[in-house]
Amino acid sequence: MIELQDLHKHFGDVCAVDGVTLTVPRGEFFAVLGPNAAGKTTTIKMIVGLIKPTRGTVRVAGFDVQESSLEARKRLSYVPDFPFLYDKLTPWEFLRFTGQLFRMDERQIRASTEDLIPRFHLEEWLQKPIESLSHGTRQRIAIASALMHDPEVFVIDEPMVGLDPHHARVVKDTLKERSKRGMTVFLSTHQISVAEEMADRIGIIHRGRFIAVGTPGELRALAGTQGALEGAFLALTEECRREEMSDPSLGNSGNKLPIS
Amino acid sequence: MKPNTSAIPTDRAQHPSLLGLLLRVNLLGLQRKLLSVRERSWGLVLSVVGFLGFYLALAYSLFYRGLEFIGRFPGLGGLLVERLLFLLFAFLFALLVLSNVVIGYTNLFRNRETTFLMTLPIPANTIFQWKFMESVLLASWAFLFLIAPLLAAYGITRHVAWHFYPATLLLVALFIALPGIFGAWVALQLARHLDRKLFQIAAFLLLAALIGSLALYFKPTQVTEEFLENRVLTVIDRLLERTRFAQQPFLPSYWLSASVQNWSEGSFSTAGFFVLVLLSHVLFFGFLAFTRLGDRFYDAVSMTQSRGGVLSNWGWFRRYDRARQGKPLPVGWLESLLGWVRSDVRAIVIKDLRVFWRDTTQWGQTAVLFGLLLVYVINLRNFSQQLDSPFWKNAVSFLNLGACSLNLATLTTRFVFPQFSLEGKRVWLVGLAPLGLVQAVRVKFWLATIATLLITLPLILLSCVLLQLGALRTAFFALAIIVMTITLNALAVGLGALYPNFSEMNPSKIVNGFGGTFCLVLSFVYILGCVVLLGLGSPWAWRTGEPEWTRAGIAAGIVGVFSMAAGWLPLFLGLRRVAQTEL
Repeated sequence: MIELQDLHKHFGDVCAVDGVTLTVPRGEFFAVLGPNAAGKTTTIKMIVGLIKPTRGTVRVAGFDVQESSLEARKRLSYVPDFPFLYDKLTPWEFLRFTGQLFRMDERQIRASTEDLIPRFHLEEWLQKPIESLSHGTRQRIAIASALMHDPEVFVIDEPMVGLDPHHARVVKDTLKERSKRGMTVFLSTHQISVAEEMADRIGIIHRGRFIAVGTPGELRALAGTQGALEGAFLALTEECRREEMSDPSLGNSGNKLPIS
Repeated sequence: MKPNTSAIPTDRAQHPSLLGLLLRVNLLGLQRKLLSVRERSWGLVLSVVGFLGFYLALAYSLFYRGLEFIGRFPGLGGLLVERLLFLLFAFLFALLVLSNVVIGYTNLFRNRETTFLMTLPIPANTIFQWKFMESVLLASWAFLFLIAPLLAAYGITRHVAWHFYPATLLLVALFIALPGIFGAWVALQLARHLDRKLFQIAAFLLLAALIGSLALYFKPTQVTEEFLENRVLTVIDRLLERTRFAQQPFLPSYWLSASVQNWSEGSFSTAGFFVLVLLSHVLFFGFLAFTRLGDRFYDAVSMTQSRGGVLSNWGWFRRYDRARQGKPLPVGWLESLLGWVRSDVRAIVIKDLRVFWRDTTQWGQTAVLFGLLLVYVINLRNFSQQLDSPFWKNAVSFLNLGACSLNLATLTTRFVFPQFSLEGKRVWLVGLAPLGLVQAVRVKFWLATIATLLITLPLILLSCVLLQLGALRTAFFALAIIVMTITLNALAVGLGALYPNFSEMNPSKIVNGFGGTFCLVLSFVYILGCVVLLGLGSPWAWRTGEPEWTRAGIAAGIVGVFSMAAGWLPLFLGLRRVAQTEL
């Protein structure tokens, strides 16, 4: 599970994350939506321990990311929007490398790759240098490598970038299946349809604060809209903007819509 | 379906160490990078290898002749050679520290692999250890390449035993660790306390201050001909006094120089003492670096990723920034200045100039390289009175032409060569615009040529004035540097288009590839050829100073053809390749 407690992050005088408190329980598929520069990536970077919060704590699978960072990272996987891969390695070598970093033994690596390689249709590319592969194939390798050690918490930023509809479906199904088996998924995206289809709960972040958290139905009810979730998202963020315009003192404190 | 993994060797060790894993995976990458040379044209590969061999042979020959010449100085030969050795290692130590700070900072804090590894269950200390080793090797390989011919020449002139060579190899390996450790420590402190932009400005100011201090310290003093003939010992005494700093026993370069010198003389106990001094320092500080520095690494990484803009730290800038937000956006003085240029050409010119100005590395390196040359050229006024023989006037003026062109070649390879590769990322914008990609590359060529001419031409003119050359000779050198500047830029732009690397965002990595190395090699060969040809065919004969126009005409003709081949041809082929690029 993921627990964010009064999380703040300041970049100089800019407040990127402003007092976020959120719990994503074990096995939940949680999606974060928000306009550009809303604080999504900064929140993710604090969850995975890439940057320290200015204030507040992050716990992953029960471990404080700052205090017990190694224990937290053993149980965590992170796939950024543009993942780093060693260009001169082959996908097979990269998968093995990742498995070894997570202290998997040979038998576990074999078992895991025998499941993931056919699932992500990587057989054809397995022995080719990564540098020669397309963006979509690289994205599939990154996701497969992140799932190798069967993480308890899976954090992913824009998972569908570069994927064709067929492989996008594979990724969605895999993540949903793992989530049902107990893996907590924290997904950040701009694709509202992906969040709506996949997530158990969705959080809308605006100016560093969650302005609304709930199931798609709850968000629609909160915004007073019907139909696609896009309408609710636009209504909620627009309401926030209007409030800020009328009361600039709100600044990064943003809207005070109830969080379900 | 089971993956076909039969070709992959299975590890015997179930759990290799994390550091071992990182080393192994990166060595595998390096091995494949080197093997990928097989896919290149063998002609090109042989040219690069041949040039490197030529460089080593030439450097060895020059060092050998120099050491022999100095060693023959009556009564003082040995002392002068010794001082030269200590001085050289002292300067190389300073350069290594600087190189380690810059490369260490980039490799530790501006590197995608570091960010990737920080999200995995690898202790920050282990990541630091790996990145530290990588940085030391990246910062020091050129040093090894530089001193190998020197040490070989030193050994041969001193008729040393065979074990001198492996021993010095070991000593040098120990030596490079110390600036590496110090550089990593400084990089870590900078990351924790300075913003990147402030760091670049501070590094630049520090370097400028260092160059200024060196220029002041080594400022030449007037030595008259009479003084030089009758009081030569006084002159040498001054020289030795000025260079005594290199023999400070607390300098690591002193320990290296002393052990090399004593080993060559067969004083193994003294050499062994300095080896142990070097070894104990490497072990002590190496242990601290490996076990303690990494503790601060995570904090430093987080800090480098958590900073806002430098200027926003000041209230006045925040107020100014807020105030200007409501106002219409300014056009900019550069746009007004170039208002007469066609709008699409103007757009590319202004974009390139802005990118150059906003990238501190680009203008910083340009300023350092040509700043050093300027200091040297300005100091020429102290020598010009002694350079009354036509031979030396000719020699120094051609050396200045060579030095200026070599500096330019470094810049064109580093900054002009990767331009097309970098533009490749934005090919959808520039390539699809009515201007077209070919025209855009041409604009880049002319912009780079004009910009670099604004530096090289005044520098050569200043050199001619300070050497008190006549108007005709000044015009000769001005014409030579104009042709060479155009050729070197054409070569860099042309090869940049012929060997593009669209997958890399970092220009320094694009340059490190085969195309960049080939560009540097060809540039150096061209400069060497031009300077030698122009020098041999100088209209002003070396000894008499009387013009010899026939020989000069032939030499200039050959240089013209050579320049066409080295500049126009790659540019033509490059533009043809660009025209065929499928968007």
